[in-house]
Amino acid sequence: MGKQMGRKEQLALGTAWFEKQGWKPFPFQVKTWKAYLQGKNGMVNAATGSGKTYALLMPIMLEFVARHRHKDEYPADNGLQAIWISPIKALTVEIQAAAQRLVKDLNLGWRVAVRTGDTPAGERTKQKKSPPEILITTPESLHLLLGSPNYKEVFSGLKVLVADEWHELIGSKRGVQVELALSHLRHLIPGLRTWGISATIGNMEEAAAVLFGAEYDAGNWELIRADIRKKIDVQTIIPKDIKKFPWAGNLGTVLVEQVLEIINASRTTLLFTNTRRQCERWYQTIIDHDPELIGLTAMHHSAIDQKQRLWVEQAIHDEKLKVVVCTSGLDLGVDFRPVDTVIQIGSPKGVARFLQRAGRSGHQPNATSRIHLVPTHAFELIEAAALRQAIIDEKLESRIPYRRSFDVLVQYLVTLSVSGGFDADVIYEEVRQTFAFADITPAEWEWCLDFICTGGSSLRAYDEYQRVGLYKGKYYIVNQAVAARHRMGIGTIVSDSMMQLKYRNGAKIGNIEERFISSLKKGDVFVFGGKKLEVVMIRNMEVRVKKSKKKNFITPSWSGGRMPLSNQLSSGIRAQLTLVQEGKFLTRELEAVKTLTDIQADRSHVPTEQELLVEYFQDREGYHLVFYPFDGRFIHEGLSSLIAWRISQQQPISFSIAVNDYGFELLTDQPLDPSALLDPAIFSTESLWEDIRHSANATEMAKRKFRDIASISGLVFQGFPGSRKSDRHLQASAQMIYQVFKDHDPDNLLLQQANEEVLRFQLEETRLQAALRRIQGQELIIREPKRPTPFAFPLIVSRLRARVSSETLKDRIQKMKLKLIRP
Amino acid sequence: MMLNLKGQNLHLSPDKAIFWEEQHSLIMADLHLGKAAHFRKKGLAVPPQILEDNLTRLRELIELYSPERVLFLGDLFHSRLNKVWEVFTSFLEDHAEVDFVLVKGNHDILPAEAYENSALQIYPDTLLEPPFVFSHYPLEEEVPGYYNFYGHIHPGVTLGGRGRQSVKLPCYFFEPTRAVLPAFGAFTGLSMISPGAGDQVFVIVEGEVMEV
Repeated sequence: MGKQMGRKEQLALGTAWFEKQGWKPFPFQVKTWKAYLQGKNGMVNAATGSGKTYALLMPIMLEFVARHRHKDEYPADNGLQAIWISPIKALTVEIQAAAQRLVKDLNLGWRVAVRTGDTPAGERTKQKKSPPEILITTPESLHLLLGSPNYKEVFSGLKVLVADEWHELIGSKRGVQVELALSHLRHLIPGLRTWGISATIGNMEEAAAVLFGAEYDAGNWELIRADIRKKIDVQTIIPKDIKKFPWAGNLGTVLVEQVLEIINASRTTLLFTNTRRQCERWYQTIIDHDPELIGLTAMHHSAIDQKQRLWVEQAIHDEKLKVVVCTSGLDLGVDFRPVDTVIQIGSPKGVARFLQRAGRSGHQPNATSRIHLVPTHAFELIEAAALRQAIIDEKLESRIPYRRSFDVLVQYLVTLSVSGGFDADVIYEEVRQTFAFADITPAEWEWCLDFICTGGSSLRAYDEYQRVGLYKGKYYIVNQAVAARHRMGIGTIVSDSMMQLKYRNGAKIGNIEERFISSLKKGDVFVFGGKKLEVVMIRNMEVRVKKSKKKNFITPSWSGGRMPLSNQLSSGIRAQLTLVQEGKFLTRELEAVKTLTDIQADRSHVPTEQELLVEYFQDREGYHLVFYPFDGRFIHEGLSSLIAWRISQQQPISFSIAVNDYGFELLTDQPLDPSALLDPAIFSTESLWEDIRHSANATEMAKRKFRDIASISGLVFQGFPGSRKSDRHLQASAQMIYQVFKDHDPDNLLLQQANEEVLRFQLEETRLQAALRRIQGQELIIREPKRPTPFAFPLIVSRLRARVSSETLKDRIQKMKLKLIRP
Repeated sequence: MMLNLKGQNLHLSPDKAIFWEEQHSLIMADLHLGKAAHFRKKGLAVPPQILEDNLTRLRELIELYSPERVLFLGDLFHSRLNKVWEVFTSFLEDHAEVDFVLVKGNHDILPAEAYENSALQIYPDTLLEPPFVFSHYPLEEEVPGYYNFYGHIHPGVTLGGRGRQSVKLPCYFFEPTRAVLPAFGAFTGLSMISPGAGDQVFVIVEGEVMEV
């Protein structure tokens, strides 16, 4: 070894390593090495499997090599050099392997360790005593580190924090956790670099701003785009007889024969479904229709036991499986080389999600990713056409970052109070450097401090909420018991309460939502993981079952999973309908759906981009007023309560409301005069938020958001491991606190946060405003069809309904009858 | 709402209690006092205002009807002893002119001395008072000649109408030989009942009692 190394020599060393593997570094990798070695921060825009890991691991190690090359050998035990944040546990092992390979070849002697919620206590203690050079971890575990006493020492030599899969983190409160941790680390370690790795999203620049916080404006950062374009081949499966294809539905199993043809012509197929219910049904349908696939077919969804899932993942690698029926759990993560075909059941509802899934096949550079889209009802053919166009136009969705998440902030403050206390003035300055809290006011900051010390004005009477105290100018946790309880609760993922599913002998099968199980009783049969199971006993948080051969069974429907139509796809659908009205049936999808749009045009109308279609008709259920803005379910939820509320201000009336991705229905028991009702003021953006807040549904939405906020902020305790609280209790408790804050403490920041989250994420305020402005410019087409139209059909059969009323409850009840429930 | 049953005059109050005119008695079921404190002990935050709300409503009823006696049909107290019990016993002492009677229910599991030290009169299962018999659970066997009043189930009904309207409401539910009272306590939930021919249902809506 000789004298110190120059930049050129460093880069040559990196390239030489690549060549030794038989690879050639991509230009984006070399660009990243250079920027890193110049001491810059950065954001690497690259997809999974593109070599992004080596783009950053390499310069981290090259810098160390350069610094110590002149010595006889590399020093050992250098302390923590790099923290690598990964949101997905499954990926941590792969990153570790990549890092260890490089460490070995460069002869560095570094240790590379993983720390997640699954890391055994012994290993964690070892890491604390003698930290590895590279630590691969999750946002939650990073905060746990900040909550351990010697953390300042552990982090003192840190050079860089890498936030991998940043596009995933940014759309969740885990992103806020990373921002807060960074704000503190940057202060502790001057010169600390921050690097992000993100797949392409619609708001790349904003994603960088969130990660870099106040340093974004300083400009010492670079956005490096991989620019490796993957070829994507989208094939839509066209039903053979469109007349018999359903107008509504969510399974799509009628197309199973065509799906089996594709599976049998492929090596390994991933079959993506949107919900676990769909997943279970498709698994069953495949093995029922092709018994030869029994044993070659597996299922993978998040409720299935982890061991089983890992087995499935290994079996894919070993080419033991022909087809894996899965949910979003396999969207991300480790590459499966044998997979050459991807099938998507039902519309993916978003362009980015679809591309992500398509990318699970054809990994080799320059290989084409092939994805087949299976519509579950006729209108998804239009979505398919819109999707294909969006991919050509590269219109990807944005991820909305969280802001002002006070629940995460108070949790973080308690964490700092656990590990040696904090000085409020110092931390305030740090917190203000983050994107999420850039505009926090001194009053809001004081509120947060008061909240962790007393529980705030309405909970002051209870010592349970006095978690932190001020002592000689610093804030400390009050005692060890509170500290232990806090550590248990660190994190921002509030999942539905799960019950363990076991056979009678105690063998584990998986986890199942309490909400589903609570609707079952002993002797009921349900399908889980492809097996029919009969409930034997439900006790505490455990369900014991036995195998069953009964014919009648229930498929669990799980909450969540159903995503609303994205902005990009919404405008895509409106564009496709314009093509329909102009008679331009140029794609296979539109050609196939023509029979249906002809019926729609015949009974009512097919709207262009310049039109808003409203249908009005009467049947024995009442009077239906149906709107078709094609803006997606969430936007329709907001629009429908807004319009129902505004109509109800003109006359006493009650509406029951149904929404889907295409439109919404207002159903009432009184006749209406649509052309008189629907004057432009109904769609005005004036007093929009006031009107929405008045409609009862905004309150319901806020209550649901508050459940997570109550849990993250430590108002409700999820319980110790092994004795988790039941969902029913947590829910009830969060709702009660919500009500009390609302009645007695309306300025409570956590309450305001719930409202803000509803506006930002549920009603998507920017999109809702844009939708109303668009509608104001559209021509209103009112039709009174004699029979329900294909557009209306899925809405009028919907059982899930919200309500808006301006009649008194008494008046409504006068018109009602007792509903008899079958015993 | 006035109701004449077995020759007795009953006021069905929208505050989920019955005033029995002839015996100057106020009857209510399922207060579940201390439920909030019980949950909080288990790490679930529940605000104190709920207890106050229950006792305020009880105080107002006592002022309105001036009963000689208040009859609790079980589940008066939600769980184990806590501070709320002290608040409640001092409430009883403040109303010394009224007799307070408890027919015990499944949640009434406080130690015997707690009851003894309070102003409560205790009946373990039933209280017979012609022409009525009071209990927490519905009696499994009819007592001939006696009409049974009970609590425990927190009754409610669903009302439906055109345009897919539907509403859930707490109710009084009268069958030919027995009747159940709505739960008095706040945050106690509803369990839906299914009335048959010859039954009477009175729902509570916006401060009024209405027969449906």
